[in-house]
Amino acid sequence: MSNIESVTQAEVPTAIGVPVSPESGHEKPRSLTGDAWEDLRRNWIFWTAAVLVVLVVVMSAFPSLFTSADPGSCALARQHKGPSGAALFGYDFQGCDVYARTVYGARNSVLISLIATTIAGLIGVIVGMAAGYFGGWVDALLARGIDIVLGIPTLLAAIVLARRLSSDPNESGFWAVALTLGVITWTTGARIMRSSVISAKNQDYVAAARMLGAGPGRLMIRHILPNAAAPFVVVLTILLGVNIATEATLTFLGVGLKGDAISWGIAISESAPYVTETARPLVWPSVFLALTVLAFIMLGDAIRDAFDPRLR
Amino acid sequence: MRGQFPLKMAVGATAIMLLAAGCGGGGDETEAADAVISIGIGEPQHLIPSNATESNGAEVLAALFSPLVDFDADNKPYLVAAESVESTDNKVWTIKLKDGYTFHNGEKVGADNYINAWNHAAYGPNGNGGSYFLERVEGYKDLQSKDPDGEEGPKKAPDPVAKTLTGLKKVDELTFTVTLSEPFSGWRSVMGYTTFYPLPAAAWQSEGVLKEDFEQAPIGNGPFKMKGKWEHDAKVEVEAYDAFPGDKPKVGGVNYRIFQEQTAQYAELMGGGLDVVTQIPIENLASAPTDLGDRFKTSPNSVFQFVGFPTFQKEFEKVEVRKAISMAINREEITTSIFRGSQTPATSFVSPAVAGYRENSCGEACTYDPAKAKAAYEAAGGPKQIKITYNADGGHKAWVDATCNQLKANLGVDCVGTGEPKFADLLTKVENKEPVGLIRLGWIMDYPLMENYLGPLYGTGGSSNYYGYSNPEFDNLVKQGSAAPTQEEAIKLWQQAEDILARDMPVIPLRLGQNVFGHSERVKNVEVDKFQKVEILKIEATS
Repeated sequence: MSNIESVTQAEVPTAIGVPVSPESGHEKPRSLTGDAWEDLRRNWIFWTAAVLVVLVVVMSAFPSLFTSADPGSCALARQHKGPSGAALFGYDFQGCDVYARTVYGARNSVLISLIATTIAGLIGVIVGMAAGYFGGWVDALLARGIDIVLGIPTLLAAIVLARRLSSDPNESGFWAVALTLGVITWTTGARIMRSSVISAKNQDYVAAARMLGAGPGRLMIRHILPNAAAPFVVVLTILLGVNIATEATLTFLGVGLKGDAISWGIAISESAPYVTETARPLVWPSVFLALTVLAFIMLGDAIRDAFDPRLR
Repeated sequence: MRGQFPLKMAVGATAIMLLAAGCGGGGDETEAADAVISIGIGEPQHLIPSNATESNGAEVLAALFSPLVDFDADNKPYLVAAESVESTDNKVWTIKLKDGYTFHNGEKVGADNYINAWNHAAYGPNGNGGSYFLERVEGYKDLQSKDPDGEEGPKKAPDPVAKTLTGLKKVDELTFTVTLSEPFSGWRSVMGYTTFYPLPAAAWQSEGVLKEDFEQAPIGNGPFKMKGKWEHDAKVEVEAYDAFPGDKPKVGGVNYRIFQEQTAQYAELMGGGLDVVTQIPIENLASAPTDLGDRFKTSPNSVFQFVGFPTFQKEFEKVEVRKAISMAINREEITTSIFRGSQTPATSFVSPAVAGYRENSCGEACTYDPAKAKAAYEAAGGPKQIKITYNADGGHKAWVDATCNQLKANLGVDCVGTGEPKFADLLTKVENKEPVGLIRLGWIMDYPLMENYLGPLYGTGGSSNYYGYSNPEFDNLVKQGSAAPTQEEAIKLWQQAEDILARDMPVIPLRLGQNVFGHSERVKNVEVDKFQKVEILKIEATS
């Protein structure tokens, strides 16, 4: 990232037009990122969200750190039993440990969301950048394309697509869901990218680079992208959370993860019919799901506020 | 019933739309006898008698048609549309029809209506699901033909040698004879099934060819006639047929409302838009007794649930292995915890719905004994991994998972449940001899005879013997039983055949079914019979 900073330091204005604050009278002028960090450091929302996010990520990478129980060990004799020392959250319909399954369920949710968001990010960067940089008919075409995709109801498209991609009930549906979410949710990112690129490409430093003979590829990647990236990253952070929620929704509707996969969506959908008997197996995965989604969204919001103080 | 019920739990968002679309259940200010009641069903596959082999189609057809015989509480056949059904040698049966029965279009019902319908049912190229009911009739083989290179191959099957059964002969307008290729003492009962309904002359396009849209509004000889057409995925409405000579129905009409999901049916019953739910889904069983009070009911049915071992899977070749797996399954725990008492553990190969049933005929093999099971399993060198394949559209995942968990814990093996989208996909895998492991199967009786639980399921080449079991001794006993002059003697021989199954364990009996049904306050005298059908002549509106 050193490159980005050097550019921003040299060329005061940034993508969103926030001047690097010389008026603060500090020892040395800070970069946009540095400024944002200063801001975030004092923001308790940021810290709460960050801690939660780290926790969930660690949980999905090393679930055995959090529980020694085997999520696959179930016995009907324990059906719907209450919490105990062995099982913190009690047992579900099949007599599986709700806590263990909730902890192990994090991995699928987080991984799917990560892959989907990466796909969405890539499509978003390419489409947004091309539309913003080239303008003219390319922009008109791509922008309308974005509008069309935006016009399709997300959930409806996801159900249709996910079902088509994975009709075999033996597949876990992991890649189908990840791909589906990726190709459906890239539009917001692309729009943000496009507007950032449009404001960035008219900056003097871009003109200077162009005059020095830089081609479109170099201009876009070395000069425009770094300066247009901040709001885009914020959108992606929020998208991470949204995708986790959408994955759970799809799974709940029966078109997401299937079979023996352990995930929050499956846990919620399988315990929903018995909620009148015991709510625990439904409530705990829901709480984890809600907290994780909230954490990502709060993190995104905090970062956005830091980068764009006007929105505060 | 070809082992593939229940077929009707497919997930569909359309259920919600249906709820909104099809309101208008009970009659409001009409007399009780004119009241229209509503019964929930799934979308029928067909409404042609010989092709309605699943319970939804059979339910509707039971209102539109009147059978030759029906069954009393003890499964003894009694005559309905037939004046008499007689035979001296169990081979040639003479059927005399009651005078006065007419089809809903006014045609008189005669011997020809039965003969033509049965010939159409049996003729192989028509592809009727109920065709196999007629395989005992003389000449059945001549109506079939085999595709020389299988269904996938480019060559078409040649036309069968004959178009009509030589075993069906008209005597006079109201009398005909059925000649069987071998004596069968239970033939009277067989004729109670849906396949044996008559068809009117108006049903035929030309001789032996059914009108394409006949099933959209079938014309029958029963207590109810169609009101309008079959509205697919929405409803089938019927109304009382005034000229019906038999026992009159006690309601003016029935609206069979079609649902994609059983849970949606139940929700509609609670919401007051539906009068009868014939099978309350497991999810609602915990709350249903309180929700419905004395309108929550159970009655025995003929369902038999089991898993089979395909003979091409060598790891299950040893009977000790099969027995050990069976002994490691805690049936009681699954019926109480998963099925909430709506099914009961099976300890025999036949259902209590038929005469000749003996409790615990499966013996030790169906008794839960994890310690003994594990020892026997290890001694016999059973496989380290067990797979159970099921059809994912039938709500089987929960009990398959639970069974797997039991096998894991009790035998120390790895066990996975594998879902196939539909039952047909499962069968394709079995046909291709893929390693499917144990296969989930179920059976609803076609006619209330013990033989129906034996011949088709375990006879060499039996119509639903998907696992390929073959034992000449067994075949012989079933055949002898079918030819026995009296029911008592037949049952004795069939019971001996069942004992062979207990010894060989080609399948593991798991559970016996019950009808768990509920109804609204607008109806009374609601009964569901052993075929899972509402007793349509008994149901009444309350006011």
